[in-house]
Amino acid sequence: MNEQSQKFPFELDPVIEVYKKDVDQTLLDENLKLTVEERIIKLMRLQRFAEELQKAGRELRARQ
Amino acid sequence: MTDFEQFLPLLTGAGIEFIVIGGVAANVHGSARLTQDLDIVYRRTDENLNRIVQMMTPLNPYLRGAPPGLPFKLDFETMKRGLNFTLTTPLGDVDLLGEIAGGGNYENLLPDSVTIELFSIRCLCLNLERLIATKRAAGRPKDFESIAELELLLSRQTS
Repeated sequence: MNEQSQKFPFELDPVIEVYKKDVDQTLLDENLKLTVEERIIKLMRLQRFAEELQKAGRELRARQ
Repeated sequence: MTDFEQFLPLLTGAGIEFIVIGGVAANVHGSARLTQDLDIVYRRTDENLNRIVQMMTPLNPYLRGAPPGLPFKLDFETMKRGLNFTLTTPLGDVDLLGEIAGGGNYENLLPDSVTIELFSIRCLCLNLERLIATKRAAGRPKDFESIAELELLLSRQTS
């Protein structure tokens, strides 16, 4: 990326434009309805859930 | 899990000058992406280094990913000699960054920071434009998805 691409307003980057097509924008719209504190509490809940999934995965592998 | 609800008030309560960056800053601006650690850029004055040491010492911070048993103590001399510290604590993982690629240090980022209010405290967070700019400057493929999401969030702010 060149210097101009790092300054606002940003130059369109064709690679990033491709990635934008796969972003679930409904999640962004839902987050924007929350306060900053609610967004961070949601992030902590997501972390907890990810840890539970990892734990379940480890236990499954140990049983196999 | 990183307990942001405890960590951030500890930092502000100790009078530490810092700016929230990285994935937590992205979430502050509305990102839906999971991040595990708290990344902050801290001001590298002697006073601030002392405040960080005093606040962090009771948490027994240790170098994340380092084998157990290595002699590590986050004291003033360690902070003075080093710059960026990736640490693990009982409250979760925290990256104390003196400088970031494409962003510079605390003073460089300060004009592009915004005050946020959460958990009954106020702290500084990098604004969305600068967050995108630092990620663009870093040029890491792992950030492409994040940049795309942040730019979509920015388009909602500016439209």
